[in-house]
Amino acid sequence: MRLLRHDLHALTGAYALDAIDRGAERERFTRHMNGCPSCASEVRGFREVGTAMAFAAALEPPPAMRAEVLAAVARTRQLPPEIKTHARPRRTRTWVPWLSGAIATAGIVVAVLFGFAQAHTQTELNQARAQNQGLAAIEARSLAELDRARNQNQLLAAIMAAPHVRVLSQRSTRGGVAVVLLASVRHQLIVTTSGLPALPAGKVYQLWLIGKTRIVSKGLLPPARSGQTAPVVASGLVAGDKLGLTVEPAPGTKQPTMTPIIALPV
Amino acid sequence: MNPSDSDASRFRSTSTDRRGERDLDDLLVHVARGDQVAFEAIYDRLAGPVYGVIRRVLRDPSQSEEVAQEVLLEVWRNAARFDPAMGGAATWVLTIAHRRAIDRVRASTAAAEREQRNADIHTPRDEVAEAVEASLDRERVRRCLDALTEIQRESITLAYYGGYSYRQVADLLSVTLGAIKTRIRDGLIRMRDCLGVS
Repeated sequence: MRLLRHDLHALTGAYALDAIDRGAERERFTRHMNGCPSCASEVRGFREVGTAMAFAAALEPPPAMRAEVLAAVARTRQLPPEIKTHARPRRTRTWVPWLSGAIATAGIVVAVLFGFAQAHTQTELNQARAQNQGLAAIEARSLAELDRARNQNQLLAAIMAAPHVRVLSQRSTRGGVAVVLLASVRHQLIVTTSGLPALPAGKVYQLWLIGKTRIVSKGLLPPARSGQTAPVVASGLVAGDKLGLTVEPAPGTKQPTMTPIIALPV
Repeated sequence: MNPSDSDASRFRSTSTDRRGERDLDDLLVHVARGDQVAFEAIYDRLAGPVYGVIRRVLRDPSQSEEVAQEVLLEVWRNAARFDPAMGGAATWVLTIAHRRAIDRVRASTAAAEREQRNADIHTPRDEVAEAVEASLDRERVRRCLDALTEIQRESITLAYYGGYSYRQVADLLSVTLGAIKTRIRDGLIRMRDCLGVS
């Protein structure tokens, strides 16, 4: 169904209050706003109404939050400014800060994931070379490793390039955090973790998709390097699933044997 | 003496306009250059509304704290991408906060539980009255909400504080989609004029 132009314009209010669900309708409105300076300026004014409503709802945050945020800030690298290559008239630019925020967050994850894959490949190669002494077998093995890493990289790239990718994160109940890049349209996600507690020998971290009617294992987390685990891809997402993480006896179990330390709705 | 003390006082100058928007813009420019003291000043000014609006949408205190932390860290990370031409710093930060809260609502199966908890929808006026901190902002917003028609007031409050999509609002208020879009927009125009924002 095609929406008339004035119907789209009437959406400025709903849009400013984040009351249009993600998807086709919102994209259509965003596109419309790109070429509609009066819509953009109306949205800007409405967002200021939202700001006043937020100030009116102000609450004292939990006291511990300040120190936690400041500590996180002290160890978090900032993103560089976006360099604008095309000068476009200001007034026609779309104002979508949450979108750039999401893209920026995704950017960090992408950088981390690729950095990881590359460091991993490089280390494998170096190790292989160090042992190597020119043995063809080992060269072949390291080439296979490289190939595997390349395939993994291609898969990661395909997932990250999917439309409507979202970044989610959750702290585990035992410390550490999982960051998930979610590509719902592909029914896939990528999981990385950092700072999970080290496990005793014979124990592994196992991933699950937990739905209403079934729990499916999505494999084990690889061993952490410098506290981080390499990206793991999980496929076969169903609406309403949660991504679960449990500690299980090696080499993993058919069904979880404990309450997940992470249960992230995806 | 800790040198950062004097740094901090540098950022506690008097406000130049409503809520010190221009001050906040300046602070954010410093934050973009990695100034953690400027970030502390931003935190002290905006953590309350950030946490408050997220809490209003999500209800659950621990989820709200988690999302508020993510939002504030995102402000630090993305400060260099703040563009004053697109609106003030407070609006930039609170837009992110509201959007993240909505993302969490729509993403999580907690939405179902939340709807359960909200089964009886309180009147918007009570919503506003719930705010713990008495403030001029609260009075102003309440006065302007009171000046709206009932449908305008309810649709704006349900959408912004309740985190409902306009389709859900239409359903809750038994109004057509076309009508609810118009009511929200008309209500916001009146709010904008009443609050005296540009």
